[in-house]
Amino acid sequence: MAGGEGPVSGVAESREHLFKVLVIGELGVGKTSIIKRYVHQLFSQHYRATIGVDFALKVINWDSKTLVRLQLWDIAGQERFGNMTRVYYKEAVGAFVVFDVTRGSTFEAVSKWKHDLDSKVLLPNGSPIPAVLLANKCDQKKDGSQNLSQMDQFCREGGFIGWFETSAKDNINIDEAARFLVENILANYKTFPNEENDVGKPKLDLDPLKAESKSQCC
Amino acid sequence: MKSKKASSFHEFARNTSDAWDIGDDEDEDFTSSSSSLQTLNSKVAKATAAQVLENHSKMRVKPERAQPALSEMPTNCKVNKSSSEAQLSRISEETCMRTPLQKQQSLPLRPVIPLVARISDQNASGAPPMTVREKTRLEKFRQLLSSHNTDLDELRKCSWPGVPREVRPVTWRLLSGYLPANMERRKLTLQRKREEYFGFIQQYYDSRNEEHHQDTYRQIHIDIPRTNPLIPLFQQPLVQEIFERILFIWAIRHPASGYVQGINDLVTPFFVVFLSEYVEEDVENFDVTNLSQDVLRSIEADSFWCMSKLLDGIQDNYTFAQPGIQKKVKALEELVSRIDEQVHNHFRKYEVEYLQFAFRWMNNLLMRELPLRCTIRLWDTYQSEPEGFSHFHLYVCAAFLIKWRKEILDEEDFQGLLMLLQNLPTIHWGNEEIGLLLAEAYRLKYMFADAPNHYRR
Repeated sequence: MAGGEGPVSGVAESREHLFKVLVIGELGVGKTSIIKRYVHQLFSQHYRATIGVDFALKVINWDSKTLVRLQLWDIAGQERFGNMTRVYYKEAVGAFVVFDVTRGSTFEAVSKWKHDLDSKVLLPNGSPIPAVLLANKCDQKKDGSQNLSQMDQFCREGGFIGWFETSAKDNINIDEAARFLVENILANYKTFPNEENDVGKPKLDLDPLKAESKSQCC
Repeated sequence: MKSKKASSFHEFARNTSDAWDIGDDEDEDFTSSSSSLQTLNSKVAKATAAQVLENHSKMRVKPERAQPALSEMPTNCKVNKSSSEAQLSRISEETCMRTPLQKQQSLPLRPVIPLVARISDQNASGAPPMTVREKTRLEKFRQLLSSHNTDLDELRKCSWPGVPREVRPVTWRLLSGYLPANMERRKLTLQRKREEYFGFIQQYYDSRNEEHHQDTYRQIHIDIPRTNPLIPLFQQPLVQEIFERILFIWAIRHPASGYVQGINDLVTPFFVVFLSEYVEEDVENFDVTNLSQDVLRSIEADSFWCMSKLLDGIQDNYTFAQPGIQKKVKALEELVSRIDEQVHNHFRKYEVEYLQFAFRWMNNLLMRELPLRCTIRLWDTYQSEPEGFSHFHLYVCAAFLIKWRKEILDEEDFQGLLMLLQNLPTIHWGNEEIGLLLAEAYRLKYMFADAPNHYRR
């Protein structure tokens, strides 16, 4: 997995990280549902449309000496709100880009969102922030399955570090996708540990060596 | 700080009767700072609690009722009593989910209002018989509404502190400018406007599946089921179809903005108020198939036109880049920095930006932050106040923010602050809280309208 290559042994005492992670994609693809599932272990058909941005916090006991706080920014999907994204993306260190497998148009919009992301936020070394593609509502998938190798190729070309089929409803692959993203973010961090403690506000974790890792797909 | 202006505000306070009712036994001094509002609030909370408890014990008493509004009322108008338990559990589940901060529970004196989603205000079903004062107010409204030429200034003055439920539909039609003040022209105007709306439907509604309107329709179609998801009324197919038509027609007739998420919420208060004309009890559980098609069409057309009037006044909230909202969020920041430096600096310290929480306050006119019954009460005032939705709302937002100053100052990190600000515990709010909020907003407006530099450092 992506995280394996970093010099892990360098970090001795316990650490706390706060990472800002964005969740973006077209309206109604299930961004809020994914977050509620991940953070509260709940699913409801009854979430209202997100206006502007919603916040959630997930605390992960990553290992015996690492605590990770994920600050999840649930960004409204309607295009009209698009000009706000620059404000919201600031200092993010990872992202989920979500589409709805039952609506092709939401997949078509994935590239638009990824481009918006990459044009507005970068790691300090100038590389894009790690982004994972989520093919949500896989419980409702009609035809057999997407062509896996096509999706892998799409990820490589689009600069995603990987992709997952998810269902917030049936709790499929959400934890796995989050773990994958966090591993990647942490690997960046461990490669170039930040001198300051990053608790208190989102801090960027540097990533000069990992630019190539984006070709890894699951 | 006590000035001539403040005392004239005080006079205003005395004139505007019931918004101040609950403060009657207090030495009401709205000229003092927000901290006194807080003290007042906790006293009020206790008084209110006692009052609501008392009301509860009278729950079974059939309230004195006005005549059903119109003769169109169908004879088979069945009213479903609130089937509370299932709904309550659903709601409390949602509450837990949405609000990790169950701070409202720290007020043990405050009883639980039976239905969290309850739409009607506390003067509606289940309330005790009207007080003499309420009767007098209602009489005054009836007089104004039935006069040959309704005095709109007077109507606004009477409506500012809240419109009685019985006369709210017609009062709202008048205040929004939809219905003419002249009695004789009303019937014809209504007829003409309703026909005009259904003309639009005939002309445009089929185009929803055409390529250039498909996106608009699809977005509306996705948003409708999740508009007021916890209120059974809005889960009915007939109601959802009405909302879709209203929003689609509005969107394609206003291409500069089109459909923007949040506008769907703004139909709700109108729809509920106009529906309430035909429903005796719990509007939120009412089955609309009990109404005749004519009645439903009138409700739909009236909701469309009144919503259009409202949106006309705040269109720049929804045009490209939403300049109206940007401007108002900035203005809110500026205002708060002057009236409560401590809160303002607290936000700065933890890098909270106003846009992160107040965008929604502006985009949805606080509807996401308040129970529907409170929005309806708030709109009584917004429609009575010059530039209520476009300008006065700013002061209401400032007052609303300062209302939570203690909770805000208690939070000591970014996440905590944002999660507080996005889940403010207003679930038990009713007319009393809105009355106080409006009083404070009025005080702020008064100070800054006449003396914009009053607080400048």
